Amino acid sequence: MMSDALNSPAKATRRQFLRRSVGGASLFGLGSASGLLSFPAQAEKPVVGKGGGGHTLGSEFTYDLSKFYKTDPALIQYDEAAKITTGFKELRAIAVGPADHVYAAGDQVVRVFNKAGERVSEFELGDRPRCLAVAATGNVFVGMKDHVEVFNTSGAQHARWKSAGSDAVLTAVAVAEKDVFVADAGNRVVLRYDLSGKLVGRIGKKNPEKHIPGFIVPSPYLDLSVGADGLLWVVNPGRHRLEAYTFDGDLQSFWGEESLGVKGFCGCCNPIHFARLPDGRFVTSEKGLPRVKVYSTKGDFEGVVAGPELFPKQIENPHTAGVSGVCMDLAVDSTGRVLLADAFTREVRVFTRKK
Amino acid sequence: MSAPITKPESSRRQFFNGTVRGAFLFLLGAATTLLFRRSQPKRTVWQIDPYKCICCTRCATECVMHPSAVKCVQVYPMCGYCKLCTGYFEPEPISLDTGAENQLCPTGAIKRRALEDPYYEYTIDEPLCIGCAKCVKGCVLFGNGSFFLQVRHDRCVNCDECAIAIACPPQAFQRVPADKPYLMKDREHQA
Repeated sequence: MMSDALNSPAKATRRQFLRRSVGGASLFGLGSASGLLSFPAQAEKPVVGKGGGGHTLGSEFTYDLSKFYKTDPALIQYDEAAKITTGFKELRAIAVGPADHVYAAGDQVVRVFNKAGERVSEFELGDRPRCLAVAATGNVFVGMKDHVEVFNTSGAQHARWKSAGSDAVLTAVAVAEKDVFVADAGNRVVLRYDLSGKLVGRIGKKNPEKHIPGFIVPSPYLDLSVGADGLLWVVNPGRHRLEAYTFDGDLQSFWGEESLGVKGFCGCCNPIHFARLPDGRFVTSEKGLPRVKVYSTKGDFEGVVAGPELFPKQIENPHTAGVSGVCMDLAVDSTGRVLLADAFTREVRVFTRKK
Repeated sequence: MSAPITKPESSRRQFFNGTVRGAFLFLLGAATTLLFRRSQPKRTVWQIDPYKCICCTRCATECVMHPSAVKCVQVYPMCGYCKLCTGYFEPEPISLDTGAENQLCPTGAIKRRALEDPYYEYTIDEPLCIGCAKCVKGCVLFGNGSFFLQVRHDRCVNCDECAIAIACPPQAFQRVPADKPYLMKDREHQA
């Protein structure tokens, strides 16, 4: 009888109640501790700092290029004559086509302007353009990240070529009579295609036997152009020079030197773009210390088209001066006007020779 | 002579009840703590947005830590491994070697090592770095911007009012979740 009473839950003793309470509290505490352990510990109590309060570093801690930001006026051979407003959010590349029409690629559109800067036509692209070239026939070759798309004179897509691979970063296109050359900065090579888009060769790969040093391309800038001399000229930015190749890939000559001074190419990797004047001379553009200059057909410095003082927005913020989508693409029309794609103003800036 | 007090024998049902009750209390405790912790604001730390930084040198001078808790870091996938690294060399170096007169860093905190010609590897010796950003400016100006400043959390004391954040001209300092304490650059940003 007594035993039955003790076993009945309804009649628990004080001791049982106490034992259960302590056991329950322990388990609840254990659970709470597990919850705490499942998160990292909180930080120590925050402190309020007292900083340097105006203390400054000496001049040896300052990266100062200010003495290079001013161009000797005697060296400036060109005046800025006009500006073409492209209306793009992002201007990527320019080229000159028949009748000196200016083709500008940006956003996902190619816009065509006449010589006076009036918009003539435009056509849409399916992707973000990186570079373009216009053939004498009026066909437009647009380089996307990894492939080329060809459009006819009315802007209809004529062809879409095969991808150059997942590592490809196409940065320049040049059209010759029977060939199309495409600079692939990602793979540090120039791809030679025929007009139908068939890959027929690769140019510029390191080859000690043929004395080809290979392209050094630290940042995604690798420009090229086909000249009236029948040679393919390619920038080798890491070596600060322009190199001439036959269409079969034999290195013929090169010129250029590294220098912050106006005669050379500055920084780790310049020039980033170039174009040929009607008489074969070279126009180059540089990043970091933004400037546009003219060199003779042999590579001798001749003068300045635009000095750093014409690019204040690029200079004031180092991130915009260097790699963040800088566009200083160049083109030259049949009268020798130098056209510069300014990514910051999203304009095509037109420079003419001083009289 | 009273009858001996015998310890009650617990039934299976009692054992089962106790177990369920215990498990319930354990889970209740854990859930209560988790809910409490989740309701708390997430812990944050200071970090620099590398795309806003203008390399003004304030990180070196304003920090409560001496030398600063801000250090230069190197993102190797972005680095061009340039022979003429503008983050390593003075703007007009006498020659492209490791001579002190050619080095940009006033504290000698960048180490240069030859790889396959003509490529070189650059690493930051963090104890020597004071966060002045001189190398960062050289790198972003001409190169890929693989050098940039970050608050190093093994040194940062996470001040409530960060002295550098107050002084930072472009307001590049911001609070970020402590479980993602770094704001890294990436290659896509440049291409």
